[in-house]
Amino acid sequence: MVKEVYFFTEMGYTAYPQDQARQHGYNNLMFPNEHFSPERAQELYSMYFDELQYCSESGFDGVMINEHHNNPLCMMPSVNVIGSILSRITKKGRIVFLGNVLPIHDNPLRVAEEIAMIDILSGGRVVCGFVRGIGQESIATNTNPVYNRERFDEAHNLIVKAWTTPGPFRWEGRHYDYRVVNPWVKPLQKPHPPIWIPGVASPESVRWAAEHRYPYIALAPPLDLIEEIYDLYDQVAEAQGYTATAEQRGYAIRVSVADTDEQAYEEGRNFYWQLGTSFGVAPRHWQAPPGYISREASQGQRQQRRTAAANVTPGGPVLDYEQAQATYQIVTGNPDTVIEKLKHIIDLVDPGYMIFWGREGPMSHKVAMRAIDLMTKEVIPAVKAYQADRVKGRQSRVGR
Amino acid sequence: MTTAGNYTETFVEVADVQLQLRQGGTGEPLLVLHGELGVPGWLRAYELLAEHFTVYVPSLPGFDQSARPDWIISVRDLAAWVTWFVRDLQLPQPLNVIGCSMGGWIAAEIATCNAALFKKMVLVGAAGLKPEVGEVWDYFVHAPREAFMQAFYDPEHIPEYVRYYGKPWTPEEELQVESNREMASRLLWKPYMRSHTLPALLRGIATPTLLVWGREDAIMPLNVCQLYEHAIPGATAKTLDRCGHMPEMEKPAEFVQIVLDFLTAP
Repeated sequence: MVKEVYFFTEMGYTAYPQDQARQHGYNNLMFPNEHFSPERAQELYSMYFDELQYCSESGFDGVMINEHHNNPLCMMPSVNVIGSILSRITKKGRIVFLGNVLPIHDNPLRVAEEIAMIDILSGGRVVCGFVRGIGQESIATNTNPVYNRERFDEAHNLIVKAWTTPGPFRWEGRHYDYRVVNPWVKPLQKPHPPIWIPGVASPESVRWAAEHRYPYIALAPPLDLIEEIYDLYDQVAEAQGYTATAEQRGYAIRVSVADTDEQAYEEGRNFYWQLGTSFGVAPRHWQAPPGYISREASQGQRQQRRTAAANVTPGGPVLDYEQAQATYQIVTGNPDTVIEKLKHIIDLVDPGYMIFWGREGPMSHKVAMRAIDLMTKEVIPAVKAYQADRVKGRQSRVGR
Repeated sequence: MTTAGNYTETFVEVADVQLQLRQGGTGEPLLVLHGELGVPGWLRAYELLAEHFTVYVPSLPGFDQSARPDWIISVRDLAAWVTWFVRDLQLPQPLNVIGCSMGGWIAAEIATCNAALFKKMVLVGAAGLKPEVGEVWDYFVHAPREAFMQAFYDPEHIPEYVRYYGKPWTPEEELQVESNREMASRLLWKPYMRSHTLPALLRGIATPTLLVWGREDAIMPLNVCQLYEHAIPGATAKTLDRCGHMPEMEKPAEFVQIVLDFLTAP
């Protein structure tokens, strides 16, 4: 059963000139920041925070936030700043960080400290996700991509130890060294905030999440790849001696809900602000700097499909809107239509958590607020009440 | 073992690393240390040099088909390994060395702390120093294929560019380029293509040194040649016109003549 539903937006800087991006062939990393207006950003931040606050108050179980760098598609270059604001302007609901980009930090203890602060400030509402960052962020932060996964592992181990082992202690690793690990501020939740791992492509991340029994949150992949992801998770879980449950499965999905199917369909096109025409439009060598993607992953079906689906190459194939709907990368419709589509996902995935990527691009505030109302009043209750079909779905696969 | 022309290619374990090693010719040894792009084959320049020397061209650990030990993470680590390579092959010392780009940096590092290994040293478009004029071209914000175009002044008219780089790559070749790029990233990412301490260390070099640079080197600015020339006592420099970052491939005959003049001079 779906236990919790969260709301997500990338907080895009929608005012960036797309025509300029098309001319350059990319819209991030080296896309000139002369196109940024702080005044416009101020308006956008206000709108987005109002919406997130409203979501928390009106029936979502919380909100998801994330972090990207050098990127007009996401105005959250510090997920912890966003989270700390939410910790005080919202009174309930979890704040799901998906997440802190661990490898880019030379001092991961700072992440441990900030998350601990936010957990306390929010009254223990933090879900702490960790990510490797997208490829170009290795370049943007000048962090050697060859060591991305090693640094991710070590920073994670250090942070968890800092939260769970009484200090002071010493840390001498391959990438991090501390004479004294002894952060004064520690999290409210014990032993620490729940850790979730989001991902889109890499089998290592799925395996790593399963090894640690962390929920793996699939970020809106084509639906036909989902079995590969969670079958792998199940296999690793079995090998570790446990059976994965719905609480280890999360699913983020682009959702456009409106009063009519037609209106929702048109509003759903706003996701194309990111996907198809502009999502991650960057050359391949930014998306996959040296060593960032393992051989296994780069030759895997998932990565190839993702590359094809996401239009990562300027002038490359653009995912057709109909196809995006057919593969459930975007679901649109009036509440009843969307509920039926989401039930299909729930049958296949049986997730404990869903994240509605519920507003994007130049969608107006009014439309977004109406969508939030329809989600909280109609879609979320129906989704939570729905029992996944045991015959069609994932539950029939468990233990095979 | 592969034998073709005047060289052989072997896979041997040297200095604890399973190594791809090309060698050819007779006479006193000449060690060639390749650059950050790896070495694609037995180049025309090696063939010409092999008429005068026994030329050794190891694919350095982590590059081409050579194994990649976890512990080699810096140019200095590679420099240490090169000294073991010379020792384990029992090459007579001192011997002559040519170092191209990153290979030049490796040779210079060795020469700063070991005056006994090299007889004479040729640094070609050598990395290791921050230019005072211009910037080192950034491999890592550019596509793999662009790097090879950038490395030549006139790529389309250079036989070895056309043969190795300016053609559709097989999947294996593409993987090899990516793999070399990964090793280069491991060694050179930050600080990019330079050492903070090398400028101060160079003044300790006692090895006779020749700098060879393409005047139009668009990867390692010519200014770096001048910095090396000023820093290494007694160093001299030769530049090639209408030539980029890889004189050994772009102007093999002229390059080899310059090298021979230097190595064979009393």
